[in-house]
Amino acid sequence: MSWHGITTVARLELRQRVRTSKWVVVLAVWFAVIALVTVLSYLALHDPQVRSGAAMYDIVIFFVLGLGMLVVPSLTATSINGDREHGVLATLQTTLLTSADLVLGKLLAAWAIAGAFLVTALPFLVWAWVEGGVPVGRILLSLVVLMLVLAVVCALGLMFSTLTARPVASAVLTYLAMGALVFGTVIGFSLTAFLVSDEETVRVHGIPNSWYENESQPFNPDGTPQEPTGPTPADCVEHDEVRNVTHTERIWWMLPLNPFVVVADAAPSDPPNDQGLYAGFTPMRWISAGARMARLGETGEVRQECYVGDGGQEPPDPMEAAAKSAGVWPFGLGFLLLSGAGATLLAHRRLRTPVRRLPNGTRIA
Amino acid sequence: MLTEGDPARGIEVVGVRRAFGDVLAVDEISLTARPGEVTALIGPNGSGKTTLMLMLASLLVPDRGTIRIDGHDPVVAPAEVRRRIGWMPDGFGTWDALTVREVLETIAAAYRIPSIQARARVEALLHTVHLADLADRRARVLSRGQKQRLGLARALVNDPSVLLLDEPASGLDPRSRIELRDILRSLAAQGRTVLVSSHILTELQEVADRAVIVARGRSIETQRLDADTVSTGLAGWRIDSLDPHLLGDFLRRHNVPTQQVHGGLLEVEVAGEENAARLLTDLVGAGVRVTAFTPTRGALESAYLAATEDRQ
Repeated sequence: MSWHGITTVARLELRQRVRTSKWVVVLAVWFAVIALVTVLSYLALHDPQVRSGAAMYDIVIFFVLGLGMLVVPSLTATSINGDREHGVLATLQTTLLTSADLVLGKLLAAWAIAGAFLVTALPFLVWAWVEGGVPVGRILLSLVVLMLVLAVVCALGLMFSTLTARPVASAVLTYLAMGALVFGTVIGFSLTAFLVSDEETVRVHGIPNSWYENESQPFNPDGTPQEPTGPTPADCVEHDEVRNVTHTERIWWMLPLNPFVVVADAAPSDPPNDQGLYAGFTPMRWISAGARMARLGETGEVRQECYVGDGGQEPPDPMEAAAKSAGVWPFGLGFLLLSGAGATLLAHRRLRTPVRRLPNGTRIA
Repeated sequence: MLTEGDPARGIEVVGVRRAFGDVLAVDEISLTARPGEVTALIGPNGSGKTTLMLMLASLLVPDRGTIRIDGHDPVVAPAEVRRRIGWMPDGFGTWDALTVREVLETIAAAYRIPSIQARARVEALLHTVHLADLADRRARVLSRGQKQRLGLARALVNDPSVLLLDEPASGLDPRSRIELRDILRSLAAQGRTVLVSSHILTELQEVADRAVIVARGRSIETQRLDADTVSTGLAGWRIDSLDPHLLGDFLRRHNVPTQQVHGGLLEVEVAGEENAARLLTDLVGAGVRVTAFTPTRGALESAYLAATEDRQ
């Protein structure tokens, strides 16, 4: 493996891409679509009360990720078995290029093209920044995470293209893998939620149900019933209650496997002061808080539910609390990067020559 | 630099076998190809020629047996082998979007040839294979024969000492074939080892020093194709005459075994060109008016047909 070898392969790949496809047209369409979405969301969400930068940032980042996950697999998912079908792979394998050069070169080329798509979307992120509400650091962090996620997508496509003989099969497998990451994780989380739900006894600090049963209505001296006073904070006691509890802390790990959760949780915009978590249309912030809440799950601590009277607590919003806890994205990004590295390694092994075992239906040249 | 005497140089294949699943592509092939010679690999379709080439080109591991290319084992030291070989596969593609020159420059880069050197090398190769005037055209627009010549140039980029050419003549027009023959001869004359597989036997007979005949995955025999072999080998000759009875009588009298073939031609088997020439002189001397006296097939063809007779 050498840098020279990797760039030789990458240059060859890029040259072919640029000449065989109408990349200018594709990029122009991409730019136009993002422009349209950004302008429409600006018009829809422009609100003098809430700075709309955060909403635009969320929409543009998610849109770029979504569209990127559609476009990027097509860059690598057919690149190795396609080359084999065209009879141009073996002629490189008999040169001094190693299989690592081939794999990393192809990966680098695909990643560079993914980067070109991201760069095309940059003006809209700048616009979101100008609108305000999102610090530059956040935007940069999500761009870095976005690029890493797209690199993983490239690597997965490349791996599948070494696993199947036919380009169609590897393209389908790559999109299925994308589907598993994006939809499969959410579906898996929702479907397994019932497995971790159960009736359980929990400790609660609050007004026990027995208080209402025991509290006989006092009567005035004249025999008419007194106005009910209701419980006061002094009536709050610790007690056991049987409740339906969902232990999402056992299944939360499925959520950050989702690239959207990773990108959202890496750099959610801060809620504007005094307006709460739900101000504006900010799906990234909600996804982030939701995933973090799922991780916190059931803590086993005493639940503070003494929501009575003037001295009582305000019912805390669990989302608000979760949003302040540590992010789940390092876990998800770690998983994605490991899968990407594993995929690259597997592709490298599958491209090693001389070949001892040839899988059914594949030709070496 | 290239010494013919070194026994380690050239191609040495001993008892190689390779199966794909339950399909036995190469059963047992042994061959030696020496530097300075053109060795022909001939055999019917599906006899394992291409599979053998893939193993020699360091792409496939043989199930059994050993391969040495200039003394290096392609399984253990593929990089050493790749440095030394030029492989022209049977049925290959090109990067359609690249120009002819860019294709060769890419291959040069893949061999880590510095770009200034590579440019000169590519220019020289383009002239060798007569593609200089097409150098800046896309590889896509080349005809089959031109692509074949580009493939040959590609195999020569790294100045290989061992050339593996799988059906290099297919798709070439007569002029290109003659040029290919000259190129192969001059490559061998430079001390390189050249292994060519082909079906076109007459052509190989003119260019090859040695022929290895393979059938059903086995090497049947190795035959030298130098002038001695050809002039002494048993070959068939067809004779036509204006006096068929006189001709028949003469041959019977001299106990020459004959065979009647269609069109009134007689076919005789004679060992070597010397004897054939004497027979012709005698016939003419006996007053037989001979109008045609031609070899039925070359020595290579005879050997090939004999070796592959029992083909399924």
